[in-house]
Amino acid sequence: MQKSKKVVILGHFGVGKTSLIRRFVTDQFSDKYKVTIGVHITKKVVTLPTDDTISLILWDLEGTDALEEIRDAYLLGTHGIVFVFDVSRPSTFQHLNSDLKIVAKKVPERPLLVVGNKKDLVPEEELTQLLENHQISYNYLTSAKTGDTVEDVFMELATLLNSDA
Amino acid sequence: MLKQYLQEFANKNLQFLLVGKDGKILESEPSFLPIKTGDLITDVHPFFEGIAALEDEDESEFSFYCVHLEVAYQTYVTDIQRFQKKEGLLIVIQDLTKHYETYQAVAQARNESIINEELIVLKNAELEERERFKNLFIQNFSHELRNPLMSSMAITQILGDTHLNTEQKQLLDVLRDSNSHLKLLLEDTLSISMIASGKLELKSSLFNLSKLLELVSFTYQTKAKAKGLKFTFKADKRVPEMVEGDRLRLFQVLTNLLDNAIKYTQTGSVELHIAFNQQWANKVHLHFAVKDTGPGIPENKRDLVFETFSQLASPNAQQGTGLGLALVKGLLSLMESEIKLESTPGTGSVFSFDLGLKVPLRSALQSAKQHKSDATSRKIGGPGRKYKLLLVEDDERVLTVLFKILMDTKQFYIDVLDDGAEVLEAVIQNEYDLILMDINLPNTRGDQLTQIIREFPFKNVKQLPIVGITAYAYEDHMKAYKDAGMNAVLAKPFDSEELLTTLFSFLRK
Repeated sequence: MQKSKKVVILGHFGVGKTSLIRRFVTDQFSDKYKVTIGVHITKKVVTLPTDDTISLILWDLEGTDALEEIRDAYLLGTHGIVFVFDVSRPSTFQHLNSDLKIVAKKVPERPLLVVGNKKDLVPEEELTQLLENHQISYNYLTSAKTGDTVEDVFMELATLLNSDA
Repeated sequence: MLKQYLQEFANKNLQFLLVGKDGKILESEPSFLPIKTGDLITDVHPFFEGIAALEDEDESEFSFYCVHLEVAYQTYVTDIQRFQKKEGLLIVIQDLTKHYETYQAVAQARNESIINEELIVLKNAELEERERFKNLFIQNFSHELRNPLMSSMAITQILGDTHLNTEQKQLLDVLRDSNSHLKLLLEDTLSISMIASGKLELKSSLFNLSKLLELVSFTYQTKAKAKGLKFTFKADKRVPEMVEGDRLRLFQVLTNLLDNAIKYTQTGSVELHIAFNQQWANKVHLHFAVKDTGPGIPENKRDLVFETFSQLASPNAQQGTGLGLALVKGLLSLMESEIKLESTPGTGSVFSFDLGLKVPLRSALQSAKQHKSDATSRKIGGPGRKYKLLLVEDDERVLTVLFKILMDTKQFYIDVLDDGAEVLEAVIQNEYDLILMDINLPNTRGDQLTQIIREFPFKNVKQLPIVGITAYAYEDHMKAYKDAGMNAVLAKPFDSEELLTTLFSFLRK
């Protein structure tokens, strides 16, 4: 039987959560910023290298810089988390460690990937330096605009969730 | 009847579903969502797949707000409640699309505003950083240029005092002109960087405006003639001879405007007009205009010509730094004036500005003339008297030039040091009349040594005149050196006359 896993996408507003999902699910991108209110839910079935298939139910939550205010109901039954920040706006990652602590408190013991999006907006050398200066640890740097590394994020999370029983 | 209407309105935005334990819809109260009995709830929308796992939770009632449901190609923004009942799950969906659309518009405006503000702050910070880097680069670059330029200027002057044939004299004139040009460019570059960083301050003093205008007129008469242009100079007779203001900066404004006019005019004339506007109390208001018969500037490019490096972007760029008009604009702004441009493409341009200058009282004029006379009489020192001078300089080229200038006067015994660490010992063991010292020395800085010397317990050492030499000619640097106790600071490049005038002004006869 195909596994179904709930994945919540969290992060400040305007970091590109919706764009990442749209790129992953429909391989599309729009430059126009439309604020997400509440939650949008989409689904994508992925086939893993092991030939297992897994249905990812992607919960695109309204962005906020006050993570403790996220409604608990949205997070119920969560299997995995993608936390997104915008590499071109330091305010979205300046408090990354404390943000991640809040997430871990709200959704304990779940696989979590940290993603710096909009890498196309910052030159590579400058980006490395910037994240080093802020002591930011991340799993992936992506660009929803170009599609760079987007698939990798969700495939890794799917693999983790698949082995998570 | 009312009950029927109430029922219609109540049902319009509410959908009730009863779902069995196998996930099949047992009953559906038809409303806004086309959901049929017998369908699997997880096929209606992924949202319901996501909440399937909630069966394991202890709570029997859950509420979800602002959930977007795309069903049958239509999007609804809903609040959803889920109740655990004996028969299965009761799901109540309320369509609040219109309500949430209003909220969405507010959130959109708020978030966009915050993000835009943040991006503006980031952009400004980036521009400031670039500006800071540019100014630092100019500062360091001009520093590196000062030492070789000073050597070149001084050696040119020394060569001029030797026996030269006619051809050699002509070549030396070219070299002298090149040095002067390079010095002006260096000063313009440094000035524009100082204006940009807010470090340039005007130095107001009494000066002879008539002589300044004569000098400018003579210089540009010659330059215009060399290019086959006619040069006209007209000044209202009421323009006062002596005024109070920043002579150097006014000179920079006029020379840059005239250089620009001559550079771009191929045939015809260049004119400099000074008109008398009015005089109130002790302030005279003058109107300066530089007119040319050059190609003119199209209206859409008039603002651009005052931008730094603007001409570099032009395909018809001519020689120069592209700083001239930007510098004029910056300097006039400091003088509380504004550059104006009238231009007709194909006919020519007029650059003009109004300037208010203080006119001195008669007593101030007399005092200034007396001061000048005193300074002139002290300039060369007395015959027969020789001074003991400590020269501290680590740059060999500059040292050679300074040594030659000083020795040629036959008025100095000179000790030379190239290391700041040795200065204090030399000062204690010798009785110098003056120290001429570079600021940027190896091991110890010249201004730090001055501070130590000024705290010495011996009066003859403590009060020793110290003249600094520096390539860091920024206003705040110069002030810091004087605050450290230096009597005067000479900014490289300086010529022999400036050096000797300064030294003799501190030497006792």
